[in-house]
Amino acid sequence: MPSAEPGWIQRLARGRVWRSIFRGEPPGTARGNAQAVFQNLWLHFLPVKVRPHTLRFTYTFYLGGIAFLLFLVLAATGVALMFYYVPSVERAYHSIKDLQFVVSFGPLLRNLHRWSAHAMVVVVVLHMARVYYTASYKAPREFNWVVGVMLLLLTLGFSFTGMLLPWDQAGFWAATVGTGIVGCLPVVGKEVRLLLLGGDSVGQNALLRFYVLHCMALPLAMASLTATHFWRIRKDGGLSLPPSQESMASEERVP
Amino acid sequence: MRPDSLGPEPPDILPRSPHKTYGLMALVRGTSPLVDATPEDAVSTWPHLLLRGLICALVCLSALLAAAMLFDAPLHDPASAAETPDPAKAPWYLLGLQELVHYSAFIGGVLAPGLSLAGLVMLPYLDRSHARRPRDRRTGICLFTLFLLANLVLILIGAWFRGPGWSWTTPWSANTPGGRP
Ligand code: HEM
Repeated sequence: MPSAEPGWIQRLARGRVWRSIFRGEPPGTARGNAQAVFQNLWLHFLPVKVRPHTLRFTYTFYLGGIAFLLFLVLAATGVALMFYYVPSVERAYHSIKDLQFVVSFGPLLRNLHRWSAHAMVVVVVLHMARVYYTASYKAPREFNWVVGVMLLLLTLGFSFTGMLLPWDQAGFWAATVGTGIVGCLPVVGKEVRLLLLGGDSVGQNALLRFYVLHCMALPLAMASLTATHFWRIRKDGGLSLPPSQESMASEERVP
Repeated sequence: MRPDSLGPEPPDILPRSPHKTYGLMALVRGTSPLVDATPEDAVSTWPHLLLRGLICALVCLSALLAAAMLFDAPLHDPASAAETPDPAKAPWYLLGLQELVHYSAFIGGVLAPGLSLAGLVMLPYLDRSHARRPRDRRTGICLFTLFLLANLVLILIGAWFRGPGWSWTTPWSANTPGGRP
């Protein structure tokens, strides 16, 4: 098979440094290409070979992958924002002002975080629509759809908890209205609201709780569920095929 | 000699012959005589899938970077429990919910979203047909599209057609507060 990667990658791949980092044969040969994936910690959950259909842009529009990319951008910019942000009622708003006017590249950091967050909500919903319209939630992928719905909820949870953190009017009232709705839940409403706010109105306790949820609990949940989501794609036999190619794939499921 | 740790000798399915350099290694369940066979046309993940992913990532990152340089994230006045903005609008993705809550806190805020969520979670178990071609699943496609559109319409109403006191307004009238992105 003729190799498809650019020449400079091949030249780099023959050098000592490259070979000290990546074990195995350099890419270019069938065996090297396979080892590039399955000997790499971060890629080994991917199959070594995929059906050409998997590459087709107009089937997935790469929406799931873009959602994941946005999550990575949010994690990276989020960690950087945490260096400046203080989750206290007295200082939160000023830390955002500092980011806007004092910190080098502060506005860029905050803008990237904010716009990626909005984009992620849109992209995850579009991804869900793609999965629905291609009927990819049907057996054997039922459970991965359920995992997906949980990912959607987590995405919304991130947005909701993040909005309070700047401690401005928009976030404060969104949190007040939002937790008010939670309070309308039958039976457990009042308790859940109390649990979220740590009091009966949005104040310091609520800010700290939203902060811990936003920067700790939700990221951990998101990382675990994303891993489950990707692992299930693999175990369910890779991406769904269009109906026209379906019959030939039914025997190929990875056990 | 076979070490004990290997356990009992496997059953001799094909008798081993000293004259052969090969033997039966394992029996696997399958429909094809080829072991580890992939369809003829499968392509390797590196570089075919991963390079495409990389290009897609670079395009998306450039777009994000451009957006972040051109548009500033809003920051409103400091939080104050004493000053209630009117209307106090939720972020855009929750405006549909807020619109429903305006009609009824329980039906709109709890029942409708609760049922939608339950429906979404259970969808693959409710829709038991194996039909995959669009023309065989017209009803489902219509219902799902209606669901998405209903959400979109509610969000747009909340964003552009609601003013002080959550009363009707139009995006072009003077008392519409600038929508909050
Ligand atoms: C943070 C959110 C999510 C991430 C990062 C994510 C990621 C991915 C990725 C990378 C794929 C591979 C195919 C593609 O790119 O389209 C995929 C497939 C899939 N996703 Fe998601 N996803 C998310 C949310 C969802 C949601 C909300 C649903 C549905 C409610 C869902 C259901 C599925 C299903 C069923 C597949 C298999 C599709 C197929 O085989 O064609 N995912 N996801």
